[in-house]
Amino acid sequence: MAREENDTPTPQADAEPSSPPDRRKLLGLLGGGAALAAVASLGGCKTTSPRAEGAQTRRWGMVIDLKRCIACKACTIACKNENKTPPGVAYGVFLEEEAGTFPHVRRTAFFRPCMQCEKSSCSKVCPTGATYHRADGIVAVDYKRCIGCRYCIAACPYGARSFDYGHDYIADAKNGYNLIPSSEYGAAYGTRAKGKSPSGNVRKCTFCLHLQDENGDYREPTACARTCMGKAIHFGDLKNPEATCLVHGEKMQALLAKRSPYRLKEELGNEPAVYYLPA
Amino acid sequence: MNDTNRRQFLAGSALAGAAAGGLSWLLGARTAEALAAEVDKRYDFQAGEWIPSCCNMCGGQSGIMCQVVDGLVVRIKPNSHNPNGFSNISDDFFKNCPVEGAVLCPKGNAGLMTLYDPDRLAKPVRRTNPKKGLGVDPGWKEISWEEAYQEVSSRMKALRDAGTPEALLWFSEDHSFTHIQGDFCELFGTPNYSNHSNLCDTARKASFKAVMGDERPLMDAIQSRYILLFGWNPLGATKWSHLPRIMTRARERGAKLVVVDPFNSATARKADEWVPIRPATDGAMALAMAHVIVRDQLYDKEFVARWSYGFDRFSEFVKDKTPDWAEKITTVPAATIERIAREFATTQPAVVDVWSGPGQHSNAVPGGAAIACLAGLTGGFDRPGTLHLPNKGGNKHGHLHVEKPKAPRFAGDDKLYPMFHKSGVYCEIFRQLAEGKGKYPAKMAVIVFQNPIMSVPGQETVAKALGNLEFLVVNDIFLSETAQLADIVVPGTTYLERYDWNTHWVTWPVLGLRQPVVKPLFGQPAEYEFVVELGRRLGLKDQDGKDFFWVGPLSGQRVESVTAWYEEYFSNESKSGAPKLTLEQMKKLPGATWVDKGGTKYIKYASEIPADKMATAAVVKTQVGELEVEHILDKPKDQGGKRIGTMLDGKPVKGFQTPTGKVEFVLNVLAGKNDATGKPCSDLPVYAPRDWQPDKDYPLYLINWKESTHTHTRTQNNRWLVELKPANPLQINRKTAGQLGIKDGDEVWVESKYGKVKAKAQLTEGIHPEVVGLQHGFGHWAMGKVASGAGTADGALRPTKADPIGGQALHKECCVRVSKA
Repeated sequence: MAREENDTPTPQADAEPSSPPDRRKLLGLLGGGAALAAVASLGGCKTTSPRAEGAQTRRWGMVIDLKRCIACKACTIACKNENKTPPGVAYGVFLEEEAGTFPHVRRTAFFRPCMQCEKSSCSKVCPTGATYHRADGIVAVDYKRCIGCRYCIAACPYGARSFDYGHDYIADAKNGYNLIPSSEYGAAYGTRAKGKSPSGNVRKCTFCLHLQDENGDYREPTACARTCMGKAIHFGDLKNPEATCLVHGEKMQALLAKRSPYRLKEELGNEPAVYYLPA
Repeated sequence: MNDTNRRQFLAGSALAGAAAGGLSWLLGARTAEALAAEVDKRYDFQAGEWIPSCCNMCGGQSGIMCQVVDGLVVRIKPNSHNPNGFSNISDDFFKNCPVEGAVLCPKGNAGLMTLYDPDRLAKPVRRTNPKKGLGVDPGWKEISWEEAYQEVSSRMKALRDAGTPEALLWFSEDHSFTHIQGDFCELFGTPNYSNHSNLCDTARKASFKAVMGDERPLMDAIQSRYILLFGWNPLGATKWSHLPRIMTRARERGAKLVVVDPFNSATARKADEWVPIRPATDGAMALAMAHVIVRDQLYDKEFVARWSYGFDRFSEFVKDKTPDWAEKITTVPAATIERIAREFATTQPAVVDVWSGPGQHSNAVPGGAAIACLAGLTGGFDRPGTLHLPNKGGNKHGHLHVEKPKAPRFAGDDKLYPMFHKSGVYCEIFRQLAEGKGKYPAKMAVIVFQNPIMSVPGQETVAKALGNLEFLVVNDIFLSETAQLADIVVPGTTYLERYDWNTHWVTWPVLGLRQPVVKPLFGQPAEYEFVVELGRRLGLKDQDGKDFFWVGPLSGQRVESVTAWYEEYFSNESKSGAPKLTLEQMKKLPGATWVDKGGTKYIKYASEIPADKMATAAVVKTQVGELEVEHILDKPKDQGGKRIGTMLDGKPVKGFQTPTGKVEFVLNVLAGKNDATGKPCSDLPVYAPRDWQPDKDYPLYLINWKESTHTHTRTQNNRWLVELKPANPLQINRKTAGQLGIKDGDEVWVESKYGKVKAKAQLTEGIHPEVVGLQHGFGHWAMGKVASGAGTADGALRPTKADPIGGQALHKECCVRVSKA
């Protein structure tokens, strides 16, 4: 992992929990496994109902065509540029596998963003309700509430979440890169600083929801879909049968009708919003 | 906060009753409005300015759009006005790009991490330790730009004053500000301007040039039905961002993709068929395919009869090159060769291409020519879905009024290499310099945007060569391994801080502008400004007595500002080139890209030269073997006439730019010539084993390749790309590893007769059992904190040697033994 000198969290980050003081005070009142479980279940109940953000009429999703994907990983880096995620945090990653024996070898690879599950495992275990479902199906994290407990990381069957340990690519705070805030959630958390959210929080792909306009429609497709070299990532609304891919213009439903699409770990019943077309 | 602390923090808290107020805070719904209030719009997608430009994270130069806010580059995205990121065929681009949009590779997306790399060199430095060598600390001392200019220009002046300007060697990248550097060298009086191409694909260039007269044919994949690639990895190298789209789209439309490669490359992984082959034997497989195609009369009879030369001799030559013969050489089963030959010849249109896989071995040129002959047999040139001969119209290098330097090149020229490429022969230069040879003493070198210690085979030799110079100047964004041997290093710029023209890798004329989207971060001059300033200090004049670096090429006026002068020089290139537009006009074009509306033209070789052109043309009789051929020049030779065609069957046609004007199965350009070792060249695309073969002591072939994650040796300090690919473990076949007792993840020694390096083994079924290999570019010990110490460099395992026909550096010719460390 590329890190700027410090391979372990800095003493400052260790001493100072990343959560705001009022939250710490609240947590100070909590203790013991039973209490945590109770809070977790409360949180779980709450997150099943959508919050106001995003358009009710939309269900944003992806159709990833593995025949077109060449595993170049441009998507992973475009996401880095768009969301300015720190070392060790990547929202869209590649899973690769080799099978067979020489010369009949088969190597498969696929891009794994957050599945934005309709019945997400992460939100169910979140003790603070920080992870929530938006009206448009995107699963988001309210960093102001996230206490960094990482239950969600353990719960997510897709490994789509990672903890922000507070590492930086570049140590110098005055370096140009560090002067630009991450755009996610509308750059609401400002530039990175030790001990300040989202450092110490759990992070995940948001389908670049900050690229939506006031009506909850996208001004610009997600960074991964926009840059995809094989044109493999289709992004659009899965709810409206007429909706088209925001990158290439195909009808999303037609893409799903074309070649037996599948979702990962369908058997878990998470109802992901990301479909794959077989290679 | 680490895991343990977080757990303690939570477990240590005591439940004293959750206050109702606390819970309601915990569960209270947050509205969009509440969040929106905190949104910071200063850097959102609509903010600031989106400046069109061209990438240069590699030499592919795809179009990019750069969002700049308050002098900071915030985002880089694909530029859909530039076809390089979409398609190399105009119809496809015009029709589909407005709908689908262009794309960009991972390196292009990682530009910010190069621009803002904290390890960049910011100020000129001078060495204080007179001792030079690998691993020797130069003892850098920061100096002013004035001091750097003074020192460098006075050293140069001394060479001119002594009447030995040729003692200056110059090395540059091959697509960035090359013209100004070439001009500087000519005005200065040295013939020793060389650039990167001969580290890349001059063998491929020579192969195609010999057979069909064009150095850089481009594969029209999207219109093809059968794509056969020998050692080309377009889905791994992703050099031009359009490659993945046109290849996967072709497959989607039913094309079959067959990849011949010892390594299961990114391209082989997407292929319908991967044909693992013993390295450097591709030529033999191609000859056996030709045998089948000729034997079964599957060739394009009409094309061969009308447009080829030497078919009868070639047919005779391949008569005994049977698939069985090739199987023993290549390890590819005869039946497979037989089948692929039939499929290739009977599927129309089919395209065959070859690049650096077979192209970086000592037998590369004839091997590549054998592959090019397959295209010849099937008429696979310049038709839709075949190998296209692109129209390269773009910017034009202004004509320099100066006498060519009288001295010959220091080492390696067209007298030594029968298919010498103007980029020079780095291996010959460095080897001779190290050995104290060369036609005269070389005293000084300038190396711009190049790192030969890492990129030329034979690290020790290159280091010795550079150490033998009296003075070395390096211009780079990092204190690279090469910079460690310099006397003065000046900071260069990244592509986001400078200009360049990019004639694109598409089949019709397109010119993209690269422009500074931010000012150079450290106030340093761009590389071209560095050159102009030196030219001014040296008072370089052209033969008309004009102060070349003062008088603006467009205005004819003296221009004080170095930047303004270069902008004029630069503007002149687009104004006098195909777009006929100035820099300012180019900036205003959508995507700052000029695209010729005429689009891709096919079968240009058959086009007749119009009567009006013939009226001023000159027809020159040329003897080609026993044949008398009439070449057509645009004007008489003594007026600088350039060949535009050939008289064929009494008609003036464009034809092919070979001596006969046709596709040549008998290679006239090599007939009667000797290669650089003094051996006579064959005029047939013979298969001969490469020089260095495995033996009992060094039984394995060592090869290398590119992956989409890195460019050559220069992106291994890019923190995002390193996170994708932090090192380059040695790929070794599981069976081979088993025999050597090597397990996955083991540290191993990779040893050749030239050196020994350590690597980490990664076991795979995706490599030929006789072969081990590494992704190229890792193993730095300088350059930056991230690059240093990551992965393995294999340069030390090879001699500093070039292919004897074209002068291509032999990056892939190496035999090793591998043992547990």
